[in-house]
Amino acid sequence: MKNNSVLKRLISNPDFSRLLILILMFVLTAVLQRNFFAMRSIVRNIDSFMPLILMTMGQAVVIISGGLDLSVGTALSLLTCVLTSVMRAGVPITGLYALVVTFAVAMAIGAINGVGIGYLRIPPVIVTFATSFIWLGIALFLRPTPGGETVDWFQAFYRIRNIETAPAFLKAFGEIIPPSLILILIGCLVWWIVSRTRTGRYIYAVGGNSQSAYETGINTAWVQMKACMINSVFIFLTALFFVGQNGSGDARMGDPLTLKAIAAAVVGGIALTGGRGSVFFALIGALIFSFVSKIIFFANIPNAYQTLFGGLIVIIAIAASQIYTLSSRRTGQESKLT
Amino acid sequence: MSLLSKIRDTPVYNAVDRYKKLIIAFLLIVLLFVVGEIVLETFFSVGQILLTVKLASFIALFGLCQMVVIASGGSGLDLSVGYMATMTAVFTAAIMDGQNSNLWMAILVALGLGIAVGLVNGVLTAYVKLPPLVVTLAMANILQGIINAYTAGKNITGRPSPVLQIIAAKSTGMFPNILFILLIVTPIVMIIMYKTKWGLKLFGSGANQTAAYLSGVNVKMVRCTAFIISGTLASLMGLVLIGNMGIAFKDMGSNYVMPSIAAVVVGGVSLTGGEGNYVGVLLGAIFLQTLTNLLVALGWGDAGKWTGFGIVLFVLLIVYVSNRRKR
Repeated sequence: MKNNSVLKRLISNPDFSRLLILILMFVLTAVLQRNFFAMRSIVRNIDSFMPLILMTMGQAVVIISGGLDLSVGTALSLLTCVLTSVMRAGVPITGLYALVVTFAVAMAIGAINGVGIGYLRIPPVIVTFATSFIWLGIALFLRPTPGGETVDWFQAFYRIRNIETAPAFLKAFGEIIPPSLILILIGCLVWWIVSRTRTGRYIYAVGGNSQSAYETGINTAWVQMKACMINSVFIFLTALFFVGQNGSGDARMGDPLTLKAIAAAVVGGIALTGGRGSVFFALIGALIFSFVSKIIFFANIPNAYQTLFGGLIVIIAIAASQIYTLSSRRTGQESKLT
Repeated sequence: MSLLSKIRDTPVYNAVDRYKKLIIAFLLIVLLFVVGEIVLETFFSVGQILLTVKLASFIALFGLCQMVVIASGGSGLDLSVGYMATMTAVFTAAIMDGQNSNLWMAILVALGLGIAVGLVNGVLTAYVKLPPLVVTLAMANILQGIINAYTAGKNITGRPSPVLQIIAAKSTGMFPNILFILLIVTPIVMIIMYKTKWGLKLFGSGANQTAAYLSGVNVKMVRCTAFIISGTLASLMGLVLIGNMGIAFKDMGSNYVMPSIAAVVVGGVSLTGGEGNYVGVLLGAIFLQTLTNLLVALGWGDAGKWTGFGIVLFVLLIVYVSNRRKR
């Protein structure tokens, strides 16, 4: 009897069902992908999952704070363009300049979005829709076509062994723990620290009920702006990886990630109404999303159908999560009027 | 004090106050032409204006899709209009095959596709309560996917029927024909929106959904219908676009999404719904097309165009939509 009720409670817990889906997808992928447990495929999988994971976590922070950022894709593209425009091949020190300049640009992007969402209180989707075109335009100014220069050591963000001058122990270390994993861990650490501070709790408070938060004396606009800037940190980390991997900047490369990141956050249980969900479960949502894409890849779907299936997955995932949330919380509060 | 209130009572002041957003949009257009004339010296001419108006017509017609969806409230916008039009153009190109006799079939297909896509958008936003921008962005991806799958490994064949080409591309005298379409569409839209019961329901749902619901309006249904109308119009725009271009290609409609939304904002339509004047959208479309012409003439190309549009939209959002807390 007792066992039964525990089981029931576990199954009705959305977080548990998410973990269950993740395990299921993991097993399915492990079965389908040959050499899934070989070191090389593990590293390759982490590499291909990493951008979505970081972008989803950043997006999750914004959504929890009561916003939504439609500009993350073009912001990512812009950062890759800035990185490759500042760097000069063969001059190692320019890499450092690029890091500093790009981080400043990332913060500016977050600040502008934050001013729009927080201080001016323009509907988040619309203001970030507008800014996404500003980022796109600037990126196109910098890089009308994909390209640019990078310094040699920048590959440390992708494959340490590709750097000839790197010491042997670092190369060996990079084979076991790939840089992409370290970037994910840095992202996790950033959010873990923030979530321990007052800001972390304020982000939830503002997203849950902005008016009450305001009346309790929280500077809601500043909190939402900080949420946008935390998102920028995640975008920055993703940009480092892309430039390390491709050695070039591309004004159009980030576009598909915007929608995927939102969808993955929703799959991870982040409520689009704000204030609810966990950033670490957003990570799990991104993993589920990535595994599903992987499984579809193994299903040998022709290339031409990939955009179609990508879009379908997004809409099905969002709709299913929403219906699930709506049906599991049928208790009062929400207006049933409209 | 009394002088001020006297001024406030004059009909001129009332008219200015009521149409101030339209006046601002008009002044912005004049400003652009003045700047263009000063910088380029050959910017201001009758031919240039007519060309601008012709190209702006396409933006304005897409803007109509956005306006209907926005007016219904629920922070709605339709990002799928671009690929909706493209899909219709790609599919109907082969059906029409340059024959007028096949046009009715193409129109039927366009209506069917538009209603179907609009219905899915409407159900997901109004009934499942998903954010419209996310849903329609995903829908845009799906439609793009369908187009990619349909055109994979082959050329898009077929030509528009001559009637469509006459409507969309040709001119009568010096006036482009699409202008006459706009002159017919605008009053119809205004009458439907301001003089019919349905228009009242549409604006009512946007202005105050609770009040609308309590007075017996099926708000969900109205919003769903708004998306169906938007999808259908966008689909018909696909026919207009292929008529103008003469051929169908993969990205023919996607560049109109951003301008259509920007035109609505420049035109002073409230993004929270419940109000809007289509004449404003027309002015907004002309403004954006003039801006594009100016930026292209300056040699700034795509980069300048998107940065310009983004900044204009951002600034106007600050002016019209921002809702700062008062201390």
